[in-house]
Amino acid sequence: MTDRPSTTKGRRPRTRLRRRVSGAIALALALGTVGVAYATVAAAATPKAQVASNAPSEDPVEIRKGRQLFEQGCITCHGRNLQGVQDRGPSLIGVGEAAVYFQVATGRMPVARQEAQVERKEPYYDEAETLQIAAYVQSVGGGAEIPTGNLRGSDENLAEGGELFRLNCASCHNFAGRGGALSAGKYAPPMDQANDLTIWTAMLTGPQNMPVFGDNQLTEEQKQAITNYVQTLKEQGDPGGAPIGRMGPVPEGLVAWVVGIGAIMLMILWIGAKS
Amino acid sequence: MSDVDGRHLHAGTPVPDVDLETYRTLSLEDQAHEASKIDGVTITHRRDRFPVPGTKAEKRAERVVALCFVAAFVGALAFTVCYVVLPWRYDISSDSYAWFTPVLGLTMAISLFGFGLGAILWAKLLITEEESVQERHGGYSEQEDRETTAAIVSDGWDMTGIARRPLLQRVLGLSVLALGALAIVPLGGLIKKPKGELFRTGWAEGTRLMTGDRRLVRPGDIEAGGIETVFPATEEGLSMQVRADSVVLLIRLRPGQTVTPRPDQEDYGWQDYVAFSKICTHAGCPASLYEQQTGRLLCPCHQSQFDLLQDAKPVFGPAARPLPKLAITVDDEGYFVARRDFNEAIGPSFWERP
Amino acid sequence: MSQTTSERRPTPTRRNTGPVGKAADWADERYTGSGLTRRALNKVFPDNWSFMMGEIALYSFVILLLTGVYLSFFYDPSMTEVRYNGSYELLRGVEMSRAYDSTLDISFDVRGGLLMRQIHHWAALLFVAAMTVHMLRVFFTGAFRKPRELTWLLGVTLLTLGIVEGFAGYSLPDDLLSGTGLRIAHAIMLSIPVVGTWVAYAIFGAEFPGTDIIPRLYIAHVLLIPGLILAIITVHVGLVVKQKHTQFPGPGRQENNVVGERMYPSYGAKGGGFFFLVFGVMAALGGLVQINPIWLYGPYNPAHVSAGSQPDWYIGFLDGSTRLFPAWEIRLWDYTISPLVWPCVVLPGIMFTLLALYPFIEARLTKDRALHNLLQRPRDVPVRTSLGAMALTFYTVLLISGGNDIIAAKFDISLNAMTWAGRIGLIALPPIAYVLTYTICLGLQRHDRQILEHGVETGIIKRLPSGEFIEVHQPLGPVDDHGHSALEYAGAAVPKRMNRLTHPGRKAKGFLWKVQDPDEVQDRSGTEAALEAGLETNERRELAGRPKDPEL
Repeated sequence: MTDRPSTTKGRRPRTRLRRRVSGAIALALALGTVGVAYATVAAAATPKAQVASNAPSEDPVEIRKGRQLFEQGCITCHGRNLQGVQDRGPSLIGVGEAAVYFQVATGRMPVARQEAQVERKEPYYDEAETLQIAAYVQSVGGGAEIPTGNLRGSDENLAEGGELFRLNCASCHNFAGRGGALSAGKYAPPMDQANDLTIWTAMLTGPQNMPVFGDNQLTEEQKQAITNYVQTLKEQGDPGGAPIGRMGPVPEGLVAWVVGIGAIMLMILWIGAKS
Repeated sequence: MSDVDGRHLHAGTPVPDVDLETYRTLSLEDQAHEASKIDGVTITHRRDRFPVPGTKAEKRAERVVALCFVAAFVGALAFTVCYVVLPWRYDISSDSYAWFTPVLGLTMAISLFGFGLGAILWAKLLITEEESVQERHGGYSEQEDRETTAAIVSDGWDMTGIARRPLLQRVLGLSVLALGALAIVPLGGLIKKPKGELFRTGWAEGTRLMTGDRRLVRPGDIEAGGIETVFPATEEGLSMQVRADSVVLLIRLRPGQTVTPRPDQEDYGWQDYVAFSKICTHAGCPASLYEQQTGRLLCPCHQSQFDLLQDAKPVFGPAARPLPKLAITVDDEGYFVARRDFNEAIGPSFWERP
Repeated sequence: MSQTTSERRPTPTRRNTGPVGKAADWADERYTGSGLTRRALNKVFPDNWSFMMGEIALYSFVILLLTGVYLSFFYDPSMTEVRYNGSYELLRGVEMSRAYDSTLDISFDVRGGLLMRQIHHWAALLFVAAMTVHMLRVFFTGAFRKPRELTWLLGVTLLTLGIVEGFAGYSLPDDLLSGTGLRIAHAIMLSIPVVGTWVAYAIFGAEFPGTDIIPRLYIAHVLLIPGLILAIITVHVGLVVKQKHTQFPGPGRQENNVVGERMYPSYGAKGGGFFFLVFGVMAALGGLVQINPIWLYGPYNPAHVSAGSQPDWYIGFLDGSTRLFPAWEIRLWDYTISPLVWPCVVLPGIMFTLLALYPFIEARLTKDRALHNLLQRPRDVPVRTSLGAMALTFYTVLLISGGNDIIAAKFDISLNAMTWAGRIGLIALPPIAYVLTYTICLGLQRHDRQILEHGVETGIIKRLPSGEFIEVHQPLGPVDDHGHSALEYAGAAVPKRMNRLTHPGRKAKGFLWKVQDPDEVQDRSGTEAALEAGLETNERRELAGRPKDPEL
């Protein structure tokens, strides 16, 4: 830029400038187009409500299979007649198939070792086996049933679901279902992997230290609304960029210091370096 | 320090010894040297980065700087285009809107980085390198300035005669104080007398318990090990005030759990139901992280832990007082009702609280 | 050159040509600005990377003003209850304050509004962070010493105001997180002995939450506090200009000069460019990293709360102290002193008072009344450096404890254990930091002296005729018969490796390309020059961090 061509020199540099400008415009347009194209593609992938169709059967064959599985995997802690074993595991009489489904489908049962809180793992049993065990436990003691049908309702209920979620759930699971700490090593787990059915069965049965939210307290419509809210929240994009965990100001402060101040420190080191 | 135009009041500034006519005949660089001297600046090192113009290295440096400004231009242009073109409205059925802000931020950043880098690289690669030394003068004025100023101040003070007039001294001091009060007194409009609301909530004898979605609560509604946030049932909507001070956590214990009540509060619960203020006695957050097996209630703000089985006694963390307990019973129609307001102030401690 | 003044000056000769020159003539004939302009353009700035930290804070503040004005076009500071009817479907129909409603509109119904909101919030976090970093630099290098105590005091005031300003801004959206924060702020006001309830009623205008607090915070956030900050920044920067910048000791750098680049053109281009880089970082963060997603938090409702409710980082230390402090409530007959008053009122009061008074405390203890324009290397003032490390450790333990629930949840640690670790760490770690820092400072000092005496290790091993192996040292100055040189430490960095020998204190190295050329190396004064710079003994004493010897 130091030896700027005088105006009389005329056309050549101007065309070069024009070429550069048009190149820049083309680049900007290309960027825009990519954005629009992505938007259209992304729009096609609409989240769908999950409908539970896999209710456990009352078929005696299934129950017998469930019993076999129970006697192989569960009996040491929960006892031959589901009555529980002192210091090992609680009685399962009356917990219902919903509780079995939650515990087994999330891999919490069978438990590897006793800790402050049983952790979510890769499930040991597949879906069919889980339902068989559930059917067996239900056949012995009864209790909360696995819900069937539409677990999310319609999208009309999202705002209501949000209010209920913030009143009943967010205090432990955080505003975006990302979990939180409880007293002395216990915690409310993140709901990242929870599907509609585990959310429902958790509310119905209050696993571990979670309070129970029975149908008289949170109606089925309200549970649909909560489930719909949680799952929609998980599925929807973050309009403001990387969500950094959706955990509020702690990760934000970390980013401000490490990324923000860090980057600026590198810059001043560079600016201050002798050239 | 006879220099009256204020420029050379500090000692030691080397004044260029050339007159204006000679100065005009100097080269621009020498003129700058002389001009700097007036401000106590000596350019000790000055080096053209490219003594031979038009070398490959110079062109490369120039291109780098130019590239930065091109990036600034392109970024700003892309920002404008994206701002106009990209879909931006929230739409529940697609994620396309989620790209709007990141793309805007990115293009804006590219533009700003380009411009900033361009300017800095220009300074680092092209602008003639220099090192200058500027004189810095002592932290205090010249002795004669100090003394002459002091004389002026003292003389003026004498002229007012205030030292000899104690009456004026006092009256003046008094009126200055009063004028100061004029600035502060109107702030009295902010002051409100606390009217004992801190000791009262929306609960009274016979007030029914109502959920956030305005349902009355009956004993069968909550399962064992369940909790429900309740408010005093009113005809009109829940005001923020009521939500802030009357919110109560109704808990149904698990079979086998029993609460050891405080003295005089043996009858506050109803069968396996107990009701406590949800407002933490520490800093006022809703303490509502209930562990149904251990009976512990945790406050998410400062981790105070209350043991409900010991009647909400604080067992860990900074809270010092148990959560106030609401006396409840069931009325003739089978709904939960409060038997009276709390017998103490809810929420965080304050001075007047006994 | 100096003009003579007379009763009536002759009309100046117009020598300038071109539009800029004509404008300059026009302005000078009316405002007599030539001398001032020349002085400003000629001002020399010392160039050390650490001197740019204050600029980050200044630039962040400018960005805050720019984005803040934009946001104020759309934000409505009203606590009137409305029913949301905007684009964000997950909240449609929910009752909320107009403040929260309008913040949602900025995020979802104003094109580009979310970007501005996010840049504003990131800039706020970085504003306070930059002030903190800047303050640490000033502290550890002794830049606060006479004659700059007032500048320090103003800086501490700015930091405090920045924190208050940030908290006010954080509260304005009236979302669940900030409302919880306000509730705690209300509890802290209540906790003040004797007048607490009166203070809380005066500020909130009623029992919590009332309807006054958001409008009041708004006017404080957009007028009162930024006005104060702007005024104090003006004085703070004005003092730096008046007294000129401090500098590190080095070749040719003395108490009575400033060595660096002139404002125009070099430094101006760098400093101006740096503004855009800082703005670029904010824009990148504001666009690419989501901050304060209030639509996820929901509107404030005193009966709602979220796990992991935290303030922004600069309040984190207070949150931490509140979490760690034991449950000590004092009952005096019919009155109560809340446990909140100690960690939330008394402790920060002590911390900021000590911070503000530090220059005066140090001056009194060292009996140092000299003027200081040359900085100290932290190692040369081990007591101050260790005190600083101790304070920093104390603060960091508090800050980490402010997020101890998040750490407990993410790293699978017991929350109670985190609290206890914080309590113990708060007491045990600062003294350890003091001792460690002190030892390191002395070690570094000793190493500097050793090199001045024996020279730089070359890595060349020689075998003497006696069979003994020695490492060859490159002496830094003239040596005596034993190979020892009598160089005295002058407070400047001592080269410790062979390849830094010609450039004391600074490497000549390009960032992307290697740019050091041999001519330049010849040009510069070497370490010898640095050390032979003719510093008087007294000056040496000062540079080494000791007060002047009154005898001399």
